[in-house]
Amino acid sequence: MNSMNNIEHVQSLMKDICSPIKENIIDQFQIAYELKQDDIHKTLGYLKNAGWIQLSYLSAVDWPDTNEIEVVYILMNWKKPVHIQLRTRIDRENPVMPSIISIYEGAKYYEREAHEFFGVKFPGNPDYEKQLILEKWDDMPPMRKDFDPRQYSDAHFVGREYSHDFTELNNQPSKQAKRQQRKTRINSLDKGGK
Amino acid sequence: MKSTKFTELTQEQIDRKWWEIGDFFRRNSLWMLMYCTGCCAIELPPAMTSAYDMERLGMGPMATPRQADVLLVTGYLSLKTLRRLIYTYEQMSEPKYIVGFGSCTINGGIYHDSHVVINRLDRYVPVDVYVAGCMPNTEAVMNGFVDLMDLIKSKKADGWKRYHDNYDWYKKNQEEALGEVRIKDEFHE
Ligand code: SF4
Repeated sequence: MNSMNNIEHVQSLMKDICSPIKENIIDQFQIAYELKQDDIHKTLGYLKNAGWIQLSYLSAVDWPDTNEIEVVYILMNWKKPVHIQLRTRIDRENPVMPSIISIYEGAKYYEREAHEFFGVKFPGNPDYEKQLILEKWDDMPPMRKDFDPRQYSDAHFVGREYSHDFTELNNQPSKQAKRQQRKTRINSLDKGGK
Repeated sequence: MKSTKFTELTQEQIDRKWWEIGDFFRRNSLWMLMYCTGCCAIELPPAMTSAYDMERLGMGPMATPRQADVLLVTGYLSLKTLRRLIYTYEQMSEPKYIVGFGSCTINGGIYHDSHVVINRLDRYVPVDVYVAGCMPNTEAVMNGFVDLMDLIKSKKADGWKRYHDNYDWYKKNQEEALGEVRIKDEFHE
């Protein structure tokens, strides 16, 4: 048909739309782009017209070190076997990402989930703030890296109490030392076992 | 010589005898409702099919809670599933028994520090038999069922009575965790 392979086809498409910050070819079926936040809607709309009619994933990644939240979109095309991943980084303190339900309607529930788990706000989606999965939630979004699930669990769910600390019964030395040893070895493998 | 005269039994004793007869049939035809909440559920297919064939114990799957005797809670429960589990349990007709599978139902198991999974099942519903392990192997599961039958025989499987007697306590715990047991979300409006 045409001499271009699918990845090249995507690349030539993207050239017309915007200038990505980063391009990453994962394999012959997947390609990833990091974009500026303002380019996301334009790119999604364009790609939808070009055949990537299905939004197969929308979620977020928390990057506390750089104080950013990364919103991820993955698009699928039913005719060409190539997935496109679009990512954009937004501020972590006040994460706002305009909704894309005008382009992909199904994003409605994904956005609710992302709001629930990462606290990203999606203006444009009428009920992004409605709870979807969690119940009676009264804490920070649980998928943020600084959330402490153990503390939450201890505070909300009563555990079983034992009169006896059963972990002390098997008087083996702690596995911590062994674990540390293994870790050192794995790290040393990077440098050729030194 | 032993007297052949029958002694009069009180009504209470007669009722007890009938109950014992009932228990005999009940424990030999346990119909179970599988509430497959967690990964322990994967132990049920081998237990039910020809490898271990639980039908030789008289156990079989049942489609609705109203006709089932045993509720199998196979693993961890999130708040959402706990709500449905209580619904299901309260629909079952008495006497009813609960078998809790895996360490998740005992003390939270590997999910003891998860933010969505409850830790102790018997705070919310009474459990008659626990099968420990993560996951318990199929022999243990079968053993648990035999234990349940023994408990029914010795009248110790009285979880449903405990549920009546301590109903306030159970309700309090349920409400503490769930707010309100009624299912109320956008799909049930
Ligand atoms: S006890 Fe283990 S196997 Fe069973 S539900 Fe919990 S984690 Fe899964």
